[in-house]
Amino acid sequence: MAVQVLLNFLLAFIWMFLNQSWDPVTFILGYIIGLGLIYFLHRFLQGPFYFKRVIAIVSLILLFIKELILSSISVIKLILRPNMDFRPGIFALPTDLKSDWEITLLASLITLTPGTLTLEVSPKGDTLYIHAMDLPDTQEAISQIKNSFERAIKEVTR
Amino acid sequence: MRTNDVILQTVTKTVSFIILLFSVYLFFAGHHNPGGGFIGGLMTAGAIVLLYIAYDIETMKKVIPLDYKKMIALGLLIAVSTGIGSFLFHVPFLSHSFGYFYLPVLGKTELATAVLFDLGVYLTVVGVTMTIILSIGEDDE
Repeated sequence: MAVQVLLNFLLAFIWMFLNQSWDPVTFILGYIIGLGLIYFLHRFLQGPFYFKRVIAIVSLILLFIKELILSSISVIKLILRPNMDFRPGIFALPTDLKSDWEITLLASLITLTPGTLTLEVSPKGDTLYIHAMDLPDTQEAISQIKNSFERAIKEVTR
Repeated sequence: MRTNDVILQTVTKTVSFIILLFSVYLFFAGHHNPGGGFIGGLMTAGAIVLLYIAYDIETMKKVIPLDYKKMIALGLLIAVSTGIGSFLFHVPFLSHSFGYFYLPVLGKTELATAVLFDLGVYLTVVGVTMTIILSIGEDDE
């Protein structure tokens, strides 16, 4: 993947040399053309086409912003209630993510969304303990995180 | 005896990108500088032929899953439809026009309809060259 990014930059620079113009516009144009050429021959290079991963990263960021807004609204609804009748709780989230980087990213994303907070990662690294502000159904909370964040992280890293 | 083509294949992998980039440069240079669809298409076909020399036909079919015969048809279709498109503006067949447009990133750009015709030429030249070379190369009696 890193090789493909470097090759793309190299092609953009060769494009600038060919056109003898040193402005950012030529660089962007060369980068786009190089991207097309790398897609044309990406089966020669190691790994999948790198721009797929860029799209996955962008969609992860967009998913995070969406979850941030939705859970902020639900937390605002909770704290504006006259009586405190919601149920806080701690639940265990079994995760398929393997590498340290993936688990850290998942834990950070869970912590950054209001209402949930990662407390601890199990010593083997296959379970996350999460505190939720309002926990009507544990199974639903687990499946919600698994379907949104964990799936998007998997798209990025593999 | 099969020899190990590792040097040829490794050099080809890097050089083919530069040749393809140069062919795209020639294609876009055609309006104001030497170049154009024909030489650009031949250069692209040259890069693909280099890949075919370094690898075998089965590998290349997996790497570039393109039907070159359909490419000829597509190129001719584009070239003819740019000609027919001029009827929409009540001007004679194959009339050409250009204008300056402000595109989001590129700024002031000259866009000419002749480039579309050149694209048709480009695709047809690539398709014809590759069809000729592959139909000779595949005949393995």
